[in-house]
Amino acid sequence: MPNLSEQIREALSMFALTGTKPALIGGLAVVAHQVVRATQDVDFLLEAEAADAVHDALLRLGYQCIYRSEDAANYVRDTEGLDLLYAHRPLARHLLAQATERDTPMGRVRVVSVEGLIGFKLQGYVNDATRVRDLDDIRALVRVHRASLDLHQLREYFALFNQQELLNELFAPKDN
Amino acid sequence: MNSLRQKIIKNQTALGDSDAIAVLAREAGLPFQPPIGKVDPITEWLSLMEVVQVLCPAWPVRTQSMHGKEWRL
Repeated sequence: MPNLSEQIREALSMFALTGTKPALIGGLAVVAHQVVRATQDVDFLLEAEAADAVHDALLRLGYQCIYRSEDAANYVRDTEGLDLLYAHRPLARHLLAQATERDTPMGRVRVVSVEGLIGFKLQGYVNDATRVRDLDDIRALVRVHRASLDLHQLREYFALFNQQELLNELFAPKDN
Repeated sequence: MNSLRQKIIKNQTALGDSDAIAVLAREAGLPFQPPIGKVDPITEWLSLMEVVQVLCPAWPVRTQSMHGKEWRL
């Protein structure tokens, strides 16, 4: 298993050198929002304009690009993986701009909001319904942050993916 | 692993639990929520991944790229 903290530290350093200000999304962002689970997912949201510079920098670090589109890219290096989502639509750009900084053992890192993270998890789940981990993460994040979530924002994301029923289910009162 | 053990003991104290086995059994298979504001979740995750590394040295590597057509955010 790779040294995850070293990998993340190296990625953060690379982003700084390329003048990019990404934000954590994916499993590690779920952890940052108080749902601790095993994950090796190193996922970042970054401005689409930085895609080429970051791509070149990752190749110089020894990563191979196994997929790249205008929306996302996947990189691997031996047993390490690193995924990128590109912010080029207004919602993602807003979420990237609003990401908050955290001091972590790997250095200072920006993390998207809980609502934004739920939105990205929903996007992942809608794109691939076999990714039940995304749904589990959404449920866990709602359970932990139910009292403080911005429901207006969540409604916007769930409507975007025609998943209003799922939102209703997530916030349905429990019988017990 | 000594540092890991110390972290586990420290975290149990933070959680107010005195029984080491009970903590591990209680959280088995479920996401763990540290008390908000008391424990750094990233530090908790690093400790967890130390254990995962021991139990599962070869973590499955992603073989599929991200796919789908619903990129709306």
